[in-house]
Amino acid sequence: MNPLAILLTLSAVLFALGLFAVLTRRNAILVLVGIELMLNAANLNFIGFWRYGPPDPQLTGPMFVLFGIAIAAAEAAVGLAIILMVFRHTRSTDLNAPDSLHG
Amino acid sequence: MISLLILAPLILLAALGAVWKARPVHAALLLALTLSLGGALYIALGAGFLGLVQFMVYVGAVAVLIVFALLITRPRDETEEIARRPKSVLPGLLCTLPLVAVLLYAVGRNVAEPAAEAKELPIERIGELLFTTHAPAVLAVAVLLTAVMLGAALFAREPKSFGVRRLASALGATEELGSPQSADKPAPAFQNPPTTK
Amino acid sequence: MAEALTPHLPALLWGIPLLPMLAAAAIAFLPNARGRIASKLALGALGLSCVLALLAAACTLTPGEDGPFRLSTVVDWFTFGSTRLQVGVLLDPMTAAMIAMVTFVALWIFIYSTGYMADEKRFGRFFGFLSLFCGAMLMVVLANSLLLLFVAWELVGLASYLLIGFYFEKPSAAAAAQKAFITTRVGDMAFFLGMIWLYRQTGTLLFYDGGDGLLESGALASLAGTTTLGGLTVSAAAALLLLVGAMGKSGQVPLHTWLPDAMEGPTPVSALIHAATMVAAGVFLVARVHPIFANGGDVTTALTATAWIGGITALYAALVAVAQYDFKRILAYSTVSQLGFMMVALGTGGVGAAMFHLIAHAFFKALLFLSAGSVIHGCHGEQDIRKMGGLSKPLRRTFLAYSIGMMALAGFPFLFSGFWSKEAILHSAEIWPGGKGPFALAVAAALLTAFYMTRQALLVFFGKPRQPGVEHPHESPSVMLVPLYVLAAGAVLLSIIATPFWPWFEKWLHGEVAHFHGGAFGEHGAIFLLILSLALVTVGVGAGWAVYRRVSNDSGAPDPLSGKLGPLWRFLENAMGFDALYQKAIIGPLARLASLIDALERGLMVPLMAAGETVLKAFGRLTGAGDERGLNAGFDGACSGLKRRAAGASRAQAGRIQPYLRTIGLGVAVLLVLYLWL
Repeated sequence: MNPLAILLTLSAVLFALGLFAVLTRRNAILVLVGIELMLNAANLNFIGFWRYGPPDPQLTGPMFVLFGIAIAAAEAAVGLAIILMVFRHTRSTDLNAPDSLHG
Repeated sequence: MISLLILAPLILLAALGAVWKARPVHAALLLALTLSLGGALYIALGAGFLGLVQFMVYVGAVAVLIVFALLITRPRDETEEIARRPKSVLPGLLCTLPLVAVLLYAVGRNVAEPAAEAKELPIERIGELLFTTHAPAVLAVAVLLTAVMLGAALFAREPKSFGVRRLASALGATEELGSPQSADKPAPAFQNPPTTK
Repeated sequence: MAEALTPHLPALLWGIPLLPMLAAAAIAFLPNARGRIASKLALGALGLSCVLALLAAACTLTPGEDGPFRLSTVVDWFTFGSTRLQVGVLLDPMTAAMIAMVTFVALWIFIYSTGYMADEKRFGRFFGFLSLFCGAMLMVVLANSLLLLFVAWELVGLASYLLIGFYFEKPSAAAAAQKAFITTRVGDMAFFLGMIWLYRQTGTLLFYDGGDGLLESGALASLAGTTTLGGLTVSAAAALLLLVGAMGKSGQVPLHTWLPDAMEGPTPVSALIHAATMVAAGVFLVARVHPIFANGGDVTTALTATAWIGGITALYAALVAVAQYDFKRILAYSTVSQLGFMMVALGTGGVGAAMFHLIAHAFFKALLFLSAGSVIHGCHGEQDIRKMGGLSKPLRRTFLAYSIGMMALAGFPFLFSGFWSKEAILHSAEIWPGGKGPFALAVAAALLTAFYMTRQALLVFFGKPRQPGVEHPHESPSVMLVPLYVLAAGAVLLSIIATPFWPWFEKWLHGEVAHFHGGAFGEHGAIFLLILSLALVTVGVGAGWAVYRRVSNDSGAPDPLSGKLGPLWRFLENAMGFDALYQKAIIGPLARLASLIDALERGLMVPLMAAGETVLKAFGRLTGAGDERGLNAGFDGACSGLKRRAAGASRAQAGRIQPYLRTIGLGVAVLLVLYLWL
């Protein structure tokens, strides 16, 4: 068994699951859950390539993950704040409820 | 290797649950589980520091935030909670399955057997890099997080409070934030959970 | 002092555009109620960069070892692999003249604005946009790389959009802003293509880079050595593309239509656009990359095109300006015409003449627009010159300032900078070996310029007040008058540095030292030109005086010329129908295409998006229903089914995010499957 292949497979499936959630979930917060899963899948790849790749004194992969986590936290905070604001207007977290811009 | 073989299926199961569970709170808790298992996997892979960061940021902050948001936005009638439209499942699968197929195909074709030596993430080196090579990035992230904090506070707080309005107009936001239109529909940000008892 | 500054010059140069931009950024965070602070911030930043610009200009007074002073810096912007994108700043006499002019003229326009816009609700916002505008223009001028120039160029476009549409509550202002943005975008597209082509051919976008730059011999040889479509050299083709970009920004025919409409912005913005910041960018671009245009002699394809386009524009706009009634619109067409003059000069090799006309024009056109603003301010917003008349008494100071600007523009001899710059342009066009066409066009345009400016001056300031007209015109406050005096002084004094007796400006650009030369008129048939210019002004002004001396006091009376010219007058009044032509030839078909696509999308794409099976089902029921068009029992059910399907199909287009996402996802999935398969 190739451990890197297992990791990459895990990450691919996690990413697809996250995408599935984004595409099908009705609740905007749960769409955010899907996005977090996708981000984690990407992070897993970075760690995997660092762990099983050639030695890298610059630690590119882990540094990427570190910044990725920080950005993801920011994204979640803003995303949730926006959802709350929309909720205040429409009384709903349905992602398809705010459609007042449709033509 | 052993830990990878144990953790990978667990992570997959938890993620599947997070995506599939109908009740939002369950899904959110399963997300927390997925993320903590992911953190454990990082530790098992030798990146203990990142595992801890994952625990603290994701499980400790993001997942908790999501659970809170779910509690705040709970609809009055629990039966209104429809997890997904049944019609969207097929397009969703149509979108995701080819993606998985291509990714797995790429993995299967291109991944060579890696060197098996163990690695440990050197934390001193991380600190060194953060304050030398990546110092601009750290500053940028710091600014970003500050902006996010301000922005989230502006978005989510009660619009009528005087201080926030001042701040909003200072930051160039238009009157919408506290305009008379939204005033006829008073909508508290932190709605009390429905009293079903 | 200049020597002491030289080591710090690069940093200072970056400071010149960045200070106004930083001020703009800071103003963006100020609430509108803090407009006074915003205006002080903008003025302070621009004043500081004006000081820096003058210091930098002082450094260029000593020529370099061979040719003019030149300082260029190069910074890596970013690197992909072995490709490096580099930017930098460049200081040479041309840049120095421009930064000094832009900061100086803009500074006085800013001061004027504090008075003119005093009652404006979005006062602070206005100054933020103005600062951005100036900063971007300064960056255009200082850029040492076509790429940086392009970035700043687009920023200029953005700022002009924001400012022309400043009164966005007025639909006409919003439309004018969009028109300006879109029309100049047509030119920008060509500019961008030309830039990419140059990069592909030479591998650099820097102007000067120690021998490897775009405007230095190596790259120029490579550009001239390769031919492309129709036997053009790459340098000619790329230069033509850049010329289209410059035509968009500088309002040359046929991309000029936005410039007269840009009057919808506040008057100080018009002054800024027409004098210092926006339209000067196009002329400056051609002047900057002139070595590419002139790559292969004095009469290259690109130069010929430039000269002819300039000549046609100059004459066209002068003709149209004769038949306009709006105070600012006449000035706008005169700007288009004067820009044509500059293009003629550039095309015929007179870069110095073009640059001097650009700078002189900046002074007197800013002066004219600010006087126009003062008149309009004094007439309570009235812009129709038919309703004015006799304003020289109530607005005496404005009138004095205006008449200096008017005489400079019309080319009154000897005292005014406009005379000498026009003289230089005519000279350069006359000795051009590529033909006399542009020269003839420019001569006709110069004649008309004197005519329409006389018409405007007579209609606005002379005679008796017309009825019905303006009630109780009043003079403007001194915060608006002082800038007029300063600019008027500039319009007069500038002529000192560019007479043929002492061509200091021209020599400065070439890095030579000017000497007083009394016999200059004896050479190259210059005496003929002098007499020609004098004749042009005399005839133009005389004709204007003869026609408009006695205009009736009735503001509804037709123009004296309109009766004589008949349909031609209306043709001119409508600016020769360019707008109508574009409406018919471009916008109409585009609108029809858009509605066709809309119909296709609603009729075809929506069902497709609702997934193929839904369409097929709906179609099946539709045909089923068509077959059984009687009183069939299944009909109602089929109909309601169809209705439901149709509703479902229309939901797919209902502006909801997830169906869109799923559609995108399906598209990506199809591509992925194709990728696996192939």
